[in-house]
Amino acid sequence: MIEVRGLNLSLGNFRIQNLNLTVREGTFNVLLGPTGAGKTLILESIVGLRKIQGGQILIGEEEVQHLPPEKRGISYVPQDLALFPHLSVEKNLAFGLRSSPNDLLKDGSYLARLVETLKIEHLLQRRPHGLSGGEKQRVALGRALAPSPRLLLLDEPLAALDPALKDEIQQLLISLHRSLGFTALHVTHDLDEAYLLGGRINVLIGGRLEQSGQREEVFLHPRTLEVARFLGLRNLFPGRVLKTGGAEDSTTVSLWGRKIVIPSSHSAKSVSPGEEVILYLRPEEVMILRPGKPVKEALRGNIFAGEIERILDRGTHRWVLFRPSGLDVHLEVSLPNYVFRNLGLQEGQEIQVAMRRESFWVIPKK
Amino acid sequence: MNSGKTAILAAISLFLFYALLILSLLTFLEGPRFLEVLSAPDTLFAVHLSVIAATLAMLLAIAIGLPAAYALSRFQFPGKKIVDTLLELPLIMSPVALGAALLVFFNTPFGKAIQEKGVLFVFEFPGIVLAQFATIAGLATRLMKTALDEISPRYEAVARSLGSNAWEAFRKITLPLSFRGILSAMILCWAKAVGEFGATVMLAGTMAFKTETMPIAIFMSLASADIPKTIILILILAGIGLTALFAVRLVEKRPQVL
Repeated sequence: MIEVRGLNLSLGNFRIQNLNLTVREGTFNVLLGPTGAGKTLILESIVGLRKIQGGQILIGEEEVQHLPPEKRGISYVPQDLALFPHLSVEKNLAFGLRSSPNDLLKDGSYLARLVETLKIEHLLQRRPHGLSGGEKQRVALGRALAPSPRLLLLDEPLAALDPALKDEIQQLLISLHRSLGFTALHVTHDLDEAYLLGGRINVLIGGRLEQSGQREEVFLHPRTLEVARFLGLRNLFPGRVLKTGGAEDSTTVSLWGRKIVIPSSHSAKSVSPGEEVILYLRPEEVMILRPGKPVKEALRGNIFAGEIERILDRGTHRWVLFRPSGLDVHLEVSLPNYVFRNLGLQEGQEIQVAMRRESFWVIPKK
Repeated sequence: MNSGKTAILAAISLFLFYALLILSLLTFLEGPRFLEVLSAPDTLFAVHLSVIAATLAMLLAIAIGLPAAYALSRFQFPGKKIVDTLLELPLIMSPVALGAALLVFFNTPFGKAIQEKGVLFVFEFPGIVLAQFATIAGLATRLMKTALDEISPRYEAVARSLGSNAWEAFRKITLPLSFRGILSAMILCWAKAVGEFGATVMLAGTMAFKTETMPIAIFMSLASADIPKTIILILILAGIGLTALFAVRLVEKRPQVL
């Protein structure tokens, strides 16, 4: 296990204070945050390229914050890959190894397997400058993994790739991780990339680790408004807590003049009556009711009538902008294309929408 | 006339200016004396002394300038801007003033102690090397810093993460990648040292067959009003310098590996 405990460091006016981060052995972790959040600073501290002002970095039981980079056993892939341009691919791969490449590339060896998995056998004698973007990515990954590092740090290595190549390398990373089982911490600001790669996601905003958890937990249940906003979540509505607890262990929140009863487990933190909160409602969880069809019991409490203001074709799905009657708010509804076609919706149409109480997520405002 | 043509015209004018200078030398050139002067013992001594002293001064400037250039290129430290500015002092200060400063230094108690208990510099061969070193060290550091600035520190960072210590990362990665720039710096500084006069004449004097470098030989033959010999010596010195500059062009022209 790799642990960062109480990390303190500063660069100019930017500070990271008392940051804690845990990376379990054999897992693929993502450090997700906007540009300027301090992701690279943390990565450079872990690898040993930047001096920390306080805290501990532990690999297993060993404290490594005082060790130089070469003694930490942490491989690092920067955004520009930094393949050594004067060395062949073979020599790049063998750079972190003490034996000659010929010995290491023997059939059945770890490096031979790695080269085979990365599909770079035909590139071994070439220099990096003649390689394509994808080939360079593969070589950089191979070079970093060749010494079997205790931790692999990836600093936005896919940021400059076009979508098709990015997809290819993401798939490669997933399959490499499955077959080799290394421990990785991948830095990115790309939400899709984080969701695809990250078993565990750590959200860093303004030098603070706002949330750590499994990817579903982070994306579906943001703990703070900052995380929700950074994740680009829609349907964030201000409300006020009216009541907590009770026989059903629920939280009652006022929203648009209605009382919404939400299970207490669907709250980022415990809230108190009178507290201002934000209600998050996933656009995929909003249901459009068919006129004349019976409504399920679970939906009856939260039905809103209103008008479709706009419909956007997003390719894979339709984005319906719904305005509840008499209110100056908009609720975004995401519908799969086949559902949209079945419903035959049009802009300006009067409809009813409903949501289950479990579809709401309560986020404290402060 | 467009700006491109104006610029080309300016370049041609500059070339003609220097060509005219060289051609004017040929007016007084006595062809039959060329081989005689070239093979004369004092000329051979001056060429030999210049080459040896310039090579030593250049090696010394590289040996000290390379770590300095690395520090200026890679690290932030207090007083970095002051150090960086001081490096340019030899570029703007007259070599005569630099030589005078060295001469004054060797008249201070510390300088005298060095002379008495260590190495004799004033009017001696080490003085030539020191004067040339003082003239080129700043330039060598500046040129090598530029070469190192072009190499991303990320290469070293990755090398360190792959198990190389700081020296190994420099030796295996940064040095080979910046080698061409460093080689250019070596050649340029060597050529500048070969042609150095002001500081050398102040510290080492003008002693025939002792401190007589090529520029000093030119000065001495001009002082004795032997114009044809002076011109031949100038042409020899210009030949050495131009060969060095051409070598720099060859080094720079090779295809990049980056």
